[in-house]
Amino acid sequence: MSSKKRTGVFVCHCGNNIAATVDVAKVARVMATEDSVVYSEDYVYMCSDPGQKAVIEAIKKNQLDSVVVTCCSPNLHEKTFRDNAQAAGLNGFTCEIANIREQCAWVHKDRNVATAKAIKISRSAVRRASRNQALEPIGIGVTRRVLVIGGGIAGIQAALDLANAGLEVVLVEKQATLGGHMIQLSETFPTLDCSQCILSPKMVEVSRHPKIKLMTYSEVKEVTGYVGNFKVNILKKPTYVDPEACKLCDDCTQVCPVMVPNQYELGLTARRAIHIPFAQAIPASYTLDIDACLGLNPVRCGKCKDVCEAGAIDYDMLPRTVTEEVGAIVVATGFDLYGQDNLGEYGHGKIEDVLDGLQFERLCSASGPTRGKVLRPSDHSEPKDVVFIQCAGSRDPAQHCAYCSKICCMYTAKHASLYKHHVPDGRAWVFYIDIRSGGKGYEEFVQRTMETDETIYLRGRVSRLYQENGKIRVLGTDTLSGQNVEIDADMVVLALAMTPSKGTAEAAKVLKIGRDKDGFLAEAHPKLKPVESVTAGIFLAGTAQGPKDIPETVAQASAAAAKVIGLLSQPRLTHAPTVAKVRAAHCTGCEMCVDACPYDAIHLENGKAVVNAVLCEGCGTCQSTCLRAAIEVKNATLLQMNEMIEAVLGY
Amino acid sequence: MIDLNALRTQAADILETGEVGAVIGWRRGSRGMAAEPVAIVAPEEAASLVWDPTCFHNLALYLVEERKKPAQRQVHGGKPIAIVAKGCDARAVTVLLQENHFGRDDVYVIGVSCEGTGVLDERKLAQVLPGVEPDGAAFDGDNFVFATSEGERRVPAREAMMDRCLECRNAHPKLNNVVFGEETPRDFDAPFAALKRFEQRPAAERWQFWQRQFERCIRCFACRSVCPMCYCDECVVDSINLVVTPETTAAEKADRVRWIERSASRADNIGYHMTRALHLAGRCVDCGECERVCPVNIPLRLLNNKMEREAREAFGYEPGASIDLPALVASFRDDDPGQFIR
Repeated sequence: MSSKKRTGVFVCHCGNNIAATVDVAKVARVMATEDSVVYSEDYVYMCSDPGQKAVIEAIKKNQLDSVVVTCCSPNLHEKTFRDNAQAAGLNGFTCEIANIREQCAWVHKDRNVATAKAIKISRSAVRRASRNQALEPIGIGVTRRVLVIGGGIAGIQAALDLANAGLEVVLVEKQATLGGHMIQLSETFPTLDCSQCILSPKMVEVSRHPKIKLMTYSEVKEVTGYVGNFKVNILKKPTYVDPEACKLCDDCTQVCPVMVPNQYELGLTARRAIHIPFAQAIPASYTLDIDACLGLNPVRCGKCKDVCEAGAIDYDMLPRTVTEEVGAIVVATGFDLYGQDNLGEYGHGKIEDVLDGLQFERLCSASGPTRGKVLRPSDHSEPKDVVFIQCAGSRDPAQHCAYCSKICCMYTAKHASLYKHHVPDGRAWVFYIDIRSGGKGYEEFVQRTMETDETIYLRGRVSRLYQENGKIRVLGTDTLSGQNVEIDADMVVLALAMTPSKGTAEAAKVLKIGRDKDGFLAEAHPKLKPVESVTAGIFLAGTAQGPKDIPETVAQASAAAAKVIGLLSQPRLTHAPTVAKVRAAHCTGCEMCVDACPYDAIHLENGKAVVNAVLCEGCGTCQSTCLRAAIEVKNATLLQMNEMIEAVLGY
Repeated sequence: MIDLNALRTQAADILETGEVGAVIGWRRGSRGMAAEPVAIVAPEEAASLVWDPTCFHNLALYLVEERKKPAQRQVHGGKPIAIVAKGCDARAVTVLLQENHFGRDDVYVIGVSCEGTGVLDERKLAQVLPGVEPDGAAFDGDNFVFATSEGERRVPAREAMMDRCLECRNAHPKLNNVVFGEETPRDFDAPFAALKRFEQRPAAERWQFWQRQFERCIRCFACRSVCPMCYCDECVVDSINLVVTPETTAAEKADRVRWIERSASRADNIGYHMTRALHLAGRCVDCGECERVCPVNIPLRLLNNKMEREAREAFGYEPGASIDLPALVASFRDDDPGQFIR
């Protein structure tokens, strides 16, 4: 170890957070005996203003060349103290943090043991700091354009906010129209305003906005690059209809001989192979569903093309791949409902009058298949007894989803209330485990549903349901009265769990961003970085990140937009210089690091690994994979690791 | 049964036509009946090639000449090199290909199937035929046939075969340009049989066992020298032989990491063998050469098998199964059972 080093150690009490468990004064005393340490002190709050000033002054006064602050996680105050070091004339990267709070004080009870461990952690940081190099951040240019993936309410809101801030936006939607799940809803809780009426103006605004390039019926296939400079390949699927030429006369659907379930109506009605999803669809144009079509061969059918007077139908339309360059990406790929076929106790999705929540929305919707009349799909009669089952697939770690889907309590109350408005003489029953109605006006809404709308709430689960004599027999328990309940229902509505959409899984794969244990997109920090993904420049919005209702989705979308605006308003981005570097003499070109790198930052050049410093996040995966010690991260080199391990082992 | 003459003709042919620059195979050795590795460059030398139960060496080792340069670059004209390879040897070549040590076109694999047998374990032979020093060995169906001064001695192969052969996963080389011998069913020990037996013992007893084993290690590094996967210039467990190249900086020389001391002490021996086992995870093809060459009989296969079995059970990974496999420790799949990785 070099004896020329002049390291300063600053031990923080963090009030009693650390000092209650760790003898901080002793840590400071012991650190002073380290070879390279010329200054060591402890202070009650190092991150406070006087604490920071003390650090800066000590650096200047003692001509320190490196600094170790032993305090909380580097996630929190590493930047603070590196800035202090910089302010005192040092290079910020000569400052290291020893985490003696989260990794020591908070996880131990015995003061002696914790103090001994805090000394080891601090000593290892001192050894590391004494070999740190002065590094300069890497500067990178910025493309002031944004990709938004998903055209539901989250994507729409984010796109509008971004475009209104003057950024160019590419909005990619997989379906043929904007709208997502929200456009399928009838009314929205707790105010019961019409979903379509509040969403369609935003859809129109998107389509008219000069800064937004809308790409529907398109999918993001490949993303390369890094924050500020992504390159995105988008596949635009052919609709076989020229939206410019189409006059929306509807002649084509009149002659199309193919009927398939209408997915916008969740299979409650059928549509033709050539179709427009719904009247307010954006873009307003027809789409020829090639999977359903008899074939683009005029010999086999060709009726739509024959009848189209505008000549808008073009069977020779081909898929196109469009490449866009953007500086940031907002992922708003939404949710799917948990599959009914997973719920054997509720009939595997095979009983016609057992509906899911979205289907019931369509039944209540004025533009729905029944024009707003609540009718049974099986015989089109008006149901007089309707059972709503909450937590269908949620809160069931043994068999289904462990988490609470958050919105079902509210939308079930809304469903029951809407049903009672449509069928005043009907009876609505709700099976629930708990009522979770946190939110402005939410609890009052549930109370109204119970009292004014006379919905019968039963606390308990439904064990089984089956068809009998044209009714659905529902067997359940009311745990409050301790009685078994049997209801002969005309219709059952399941509040199915919210799960990450298929598109969310695909987007995570293409973007190489992490997902949590339930498959939702993982945020960088559950509290402090709720809209950032772990990859710089990629942000999350809406239910792709976790179950949430419309107000929360809109708020998160705007938050993601604000983050993007903040990011892209910088003239140049900086990237941490603590990146991997290759010792070319040792590299055999085995490519293990190339495969292992989660950021695609390494490639082979002339049989040797080469690191793209801008892509590298310095995670060290390559370093731990390489059998030959041929690649290592700056300021976390193998030599530093070795000395840190020795320090911890007490050598 | 493999027709040795056909193998020789094949070797001579590819040398004659210039398809390859050299053929690495076995010839009659100078130590008793045992064969020895040989590299031939002239077609007429092909007549010296042999194939018998003493061809235990993993010749893939010689594709990595001096553990530095792919041998192919040493042969004039940069022609491909041919190698005679058993099932395990071919798996080793596959791993070297996976690791880009050379291209598929740089190596010509002459596969030889061990069929229903395997190679000879000389230690077992000494027990089966005590006091006998045979002059030659040959395959004959399920038996080994030894030529001795008192005539032919016939021994059932399974009684004198290497343990690794009893547990062999694939005695028929999958990777090959040409292959001799049939792919025949084998019914000896199940894979990992010895390891499974060993793991029956209580943990404390196993730890004692290993301490005893590593106590005896003299750090001769024969295991490392014989292993085709141990091709690093600078072995991380032996940083005293730091490779100095024109690019090596003074700081690098001064700052070389000493992970493990070079002297043969028990703790450092354990460190060395553990590190080697971990570095072989997903790469070791169980050719068993490390165990065969160990002068103090440390059962190294048990260690390497353990890693192999973990990889197979946790990830369905079989080292050397295909050139297209990514390295075990450098890859993950979306359907990985560990949820942390998504």
